Amino acid sequence: MEALLRELPWLLRGVGVAVEVLAGVMGFGLLGGLGAAVLQAYGPRPLGLLVTAGERLLRGIPPIVLLLLVFYLPWDLPPLLVAILGLGLCSAAYQSQIFRTAFRSVSMGELQAARALGLSKTQAIIHVVLPQAVRRALGPWSNELSSQIKDTSLAYIVGVVEILRQARYIISYTYGNSLLVFCFCALLYFLLTRLGNSLLFRLEARLWVPGFVDRRGHFPTRR
Amino acid sequence: MKRGFLVGIVCLAFTLSLLGAEKEVYVVGLDAAFPPFTWVEEGQFRGFDVEVMEAIAELQGFRVEFRDLPWATIITALAQGKIDVIASGLTLTCERDQVVDFSLPYWEVDQAVLVREDSQLNAITAFFGTSVGAQAGTTGYQWIEDNLLGKAPGLSLRPYETYDLAVSDLEAGRIAAVLCDTDTAQGFVDAGRRVKIVGIVKTGEQYAYAVTGGDPYGLLPRINEGLRQLYQSGRWAELVNRYFPGRPVSPVPLKRTELCE
Repeated sequence: MEALLRELPWLLRGVGVAVEVLAGVMGFGLLGGLGAAVLQAYGPRPLGLLVTAGERLLRGIPPIVLLLLVFYLPWDLPPLLVAILGLGLCSAAYQSQIFRTAFRSVSMGELQAARALGLSKTQAIIHVVLPQAVRRALGPWSNELSSQIKDTSLAYIVGVVEILRQARYIISYTYGNSLLVFCFCALLYFLLTRLGNSLLFRLEARLWVPGFVDRRGHFPTRR
Repeated sequence: MKRGFLVGIVCLAFTLSLLGAEKEVYVVGLDAAFPPFTWVEEGQFRGFDVEVMEAIAELQGFRVEFRDLPWATIITALAQGKIDVIASGLTLTCERDQVVDFSLPYWEVDQAVLVREDSQLNAITAFFGTSVGAQAGTTGYQWIEDNLLGKAPGLSLRPYETYDLAVSDLEAGRIAAVLCDTDTAQGFVDAGRRVKIVGIVKTGEQYAYAVTGGDPYGLLPRINEGLRQLYQSGRWAELVNRYFPGRPVSPVPLKRTELCE
């Protein structure tokens, strides 16, 4: 218990590192996933197929294997970057599916209408489809965030000192306390996930375009 | 023919550049879950190997920086040159010698048989019809695999990621015994874990520091010389007494017992 208190600043530092990894992974995944989804949905057919093949491949490889693959690449990358690349590739593949379905949910008619009004295909995608698709993608995206928060715990294998590695340090030099320390880690991950999700929930509420129904599908009550 | 010649030149130039190179700071890899040799406390690298490596670097005039890597990846990381040195209670074995290069040995250990405090088992009965554990990728694990598995009737062997987890399972009664390096075993006993040492397997293993295969930065002679200077200056004895009270101090570097072709 005393050891846990004494090491608290370092555990929190581990949380900071985990958040860094997470931000990198989600950012990388967002860019990669969005790009891949656009290519899959609207790109030229051969390119779309290529992207699909890559996405299928990456989704079929466990994140820990991807991490090790990136780690053993012949270049010398800092551990943090290895973790972001390894987990980010995996996340990009999953996020591309989130965005692809979001794009598909915007009807083709809207795209055609935008084209009829004189927008180029790129303009139509950016100004008409994307704003709607991103709003619809937020829900599933928060799900991906939750699972990535927990996947940051794999980054220790390539030498990133995140929450779990800090926990291991305490356990190994005090020769014990496994249960207590891991319970505390579970609490940290739980809080991190709750925080991330509630922030995204607020964002979703802010971006919500009011229409006939509110977010719960009810008609708004008259005031 | 011409192409072969070109490739040869490139390879030669590459090797020469590696041989001649010296680094500003050498990255020393360790698995910070192996007290009293290596651990991390309040964000600081600690332990016998950490202090010895720092002292050698000081004596030999180079700089080191420590990096923590889990046991599962540490040897391959060194073999590939991701790190420059391993200082982490690493036993010298011929198998490892094929992928990395070892300094002269500095430490000798055997394997200790740990059982639960209240257990009636002895070093022999602990391995019959029981399941036992060791950290995966360690020499203790290897020893059971090579010498007992399939020979001792009813024995099963469980790999663990760290020795701490193995000892936790031992305390909980899920396994009957754990085989680990003698100093590590003593560490668990001294820390008040509910285990005891019932026997020693005389494996006569030696710990040594390791560098990337081919010693691209010429570190091995400097480490060996550093060990010699450290012993002669008396600091070696000081460190041994501090980390391993009561353990006899023998002059380092030791003579290598494990000879490989």
